[in-house]
Amino acid sequence: MFTTGFKFFFGIGVALATAGVLYGYTSGGNHMGPVSLGWKGGVGEHVGYGLLVGLGVTAMGTALTLIFFRDADPADQADYMGVDDIAPTQPVTGSHWPIVAAFGVGTMAVGLVLNTAVFVTGLVIVAIVAVSWTMDAWADRATGDPVANRALRNRIMAPIEIPAAGAVVVGLGVLAISRILLSSSKLGAVIVAGVVAVVILGIGVLAATDAFKFNRHVVAGLSLVVAVAVLGGGVWAVVEGEREFEPHETHGSETHDEADEDHGDDESHSDDGDEDAEHTDGDTDGE
Amino acid sequence: MTMTDSPPATETASAAPSPAVAGLYESLTTTDHKRIGRIWLQSGVLLLVGALVLGVLLGIERLDADSTDIFGGDNAYFQIWALYRIALVLLVAAPLFIGLATIVVPMQVGSTNIAFPRAALSAVWGFLIGAGIMIAAVLANGGWGAVDRASGDERDAVALTLVGMGMVVLSLLLASLCIATTVISMRVKGMTLLRTPLFAWSMLVACAVWMLTLPVLLANLLVAYVDLHNGPGTFGGGLSGDLSIYGQIAWIVEQPQVYAFAIPVLGILGSIVPVAAGVRGARHGLSLGLIGFFGLLSVGAWAQPYFQETNDALVRYDEKFVYIAFGIAAIFPVLGAIGGAADSVFRGRDRVAGLPPAHLLGALGGGVLLLAGTAAGVARVIQPLDLGDRVSVAGVMNLVLFAAIASAIAGLWFWAPKIGGHELSPMLGRMVVAEIVLGAVLLGGAQFINGFFLTANNPLVAPTEDAADVLNLVSLLGMALIALGALGLLASLAKAMRSGETGADDPWSGHTLEWATATPPPAGNFAEPPALVTSESPLLDISPDEAADEGEES
Repeated sequence: MFTTGFKFFFGIGVALATAGVLYGYTSGGNHMGPVSLGWKGGVGEHVGYGLLVGLGVTAMGTALTLIFFRDADPADQADYMGVDDIAPTQPVTGSHWPIVAAFGVGTMAVGLVLNTAVFVTGLVIVAIVAVSWTMDAWADRATGDPVANRALRNRIMAPIEIPAAGAVVVGLGVLAISRILLSSSKLGAVIVAGVVAVVILGIGVLAATDAFKFNRHVVAGLSLVVAVAVLGGGVWAVVEGEREFEPHETHGSETHDEADEDHGDDESHSDDGDEDAEHTDGDTDGE
Repeated sequence: MTMTDSPPATETASAAPSPAVAGLYESLTTTDHKRIGRIWLQSGVLLLVGALVLGVLLGIERLDADSTDIFGGDNAYFQIWALYRIALVLLVAAPLFIGLATIVVPMQVGSTNIAFPRAALSAVWGFLIGAGIMIAAVLANGGWGAVDRASGDERDAVALTLVGMGMVVLSLLLASLCIATTVISMRVKGMTLLRTPLFAWSMLVACAVWMLTLPVLLANLLVAYVDLHNGPGTFGGGLSGDLSIYGQIAWIVEQPQVYAFAIPVLGILGSIVPVAAGVRGARHGLSLGLIGFFGLLSVGAWAQPYFQETNDALVRYDEKFVYIAFGIAAIFPVLGAIGGAADSVFRGRDRVAGLPPAHLLGALGGGVLLLAGTAAGVARVIQPLDLGDRVSVAGVMNLVLFAAIASAIAGLWFWAPKIGGHELSPMLGRMVVAEIVLGAVLLGGAQFINGFFLTANNPLVAPTEDAADVLNLVSLLGMALIALGALGLLASLAKAMRSGETGADDPWSGHTLEWATATPPPAGNFAEPPALVTSESPLLDISPDEAADEGEES
């Protein structure tokens, strides 16, 4: 008749409410105050009384909700759905989150000792795992149908995961390409930037005009190749280091490193004719 | 809300056997308890070999520490010495039992999987990553005690050792939680706690003790970590100098805590011997009680020398009544369990006559080693013998831990069909078990006796008596014998994997539910839910007619 959930929460609610009333009377409550929520008399110490009674009422409300909807009672669910028997719960399926969680904790452990950035990276991984794992665990038991469970999970998580994953991919891409540009020669950087721009433009045009129907596996394979190329190039560029930049004086003693390229603005600077020579920015430069 | 009044039926997955070869992704992400358990076992066996290599090298160094310098100085010698001890407990004994339990316990209690399988998977990967960090950091001169003997340049390495070890402990705790929950809440209908198979029960007790005590080790590591950053003695440790970090955690390799890692020895003894003898185990309730009592006596997180009062007017922890009483009492449950095993062997003497199978030899050998270890522990707490800081401490540790390892190997041979789908070579098994048990007797026995010749526990203190050299040589021979046994173990596993021959469903006429399923067990373990359990040996309760029917169906 009464579900376990109802008994559990109702018991907690009664215990908390009773404790609240006792606390009210022992902390200065009088007359009927503690049992009438302060309507006829004082409730004593307000904060403690309010917390205990509030939590108690919340728990009892939860209990009533559970008994009303007969939550998770298979027989009642079957009755409600008009079927003989609800689908059995599925065995827990494999998941990549456990190994990612272990990797995240390991990253945190190493970062704790060696490098704050590594620690924060581990922390972010663990936070992502915590949210995603929790959602997966919830969705796995939402219904007896794995397909419906997956759809339910995606409906909630996809609006978060897709932009976040997109941001990570774009961020990594920008970072990698910027390292490549900084590592290349001036001419090389122009070529790389031009090629990247043309590729992005071309992909956009193809996607917008719907001129070609690509096999999804081909697209996935090409994307993987491009991603590996960009990330690999970025790593290579980091290892190679940036090309040489000459110190670039600004006002007074202020200097900054900048590639030795001509400025197209109206700054006034002392140019001795050698384009690689050190020069001083005009007062409008960078101000 | 997911709270259920009566849980919906869990779908029994298709009875197709687990695939022999699975893809890499599937291996990394599996939630099948058998595959998770196999990762634990493989890790434990490989780490056992590594620990034994260290043990042999340490034995050679200890033979003549003055002229031999394998490790490149006292500092490194001390760190490797500590690594061997910590590894034997946390990286070998505990993972071997957790691996066995992760595979066997769910089947023994009639469950389709382990509780919280994703957490169990997370635990094994966390363990491997933590162990990797810890070992690498120690090898980078970051072992326990390093900063006290060197300039302090290796502070980061020491800190990594501490966090790696913390990760290992957390992972063991998580795995323990999964196993304990499986025994408590996933037993099949009719299987009350009093009808729980002895191995499952012993793992429940062991996991409970680990969950009570290992968090204290985590706290020790945290204290050591803070000390490392804020200067030694931040928390006012009683000891200082060479052993200040190792001294805080040494209690896990000393009695009574070291007994906690041998609790399943009694469960394996009680599970294997009656089956091998072909008799029903007698006084099941008493066996449960003895295992529980031994577990109670192995709670040793309070016996921490590092924080004891050094004032002579106060009583040292090892002079307290409760420590002495625990030390003496621990031998009685072991004696009781061995008495029960002897009773089973006597009743089934016709069946065990002749060459005993490897699992019986291992289970009995493990029991005898544990008896020797607890007996040495009794001598250790008798104050007039003054063995407190002698190498006898290592003798107790090695006897107890190799009892655990021998038992785990017995379990490997016994449950091999359910673990990997193959039976292991009986002849190689006998050799492996014999070498490990005999080697442990030589190693632990010689170390224990060596304590009477005033040889110190600290490896950097040279022995003063000539007899100590002879005993050190005997210890080395024992360690070499054990290492030989471990190589045999690797060869047996490799041979079984190569053979590809599927084992029988129930080669030993087992008594408990794991033998009611196919070999290798299918996903979900049981094609049909097990029948109502009415005793601690459910397979002995099936009538001959039912057994015949089942045979025809299969």
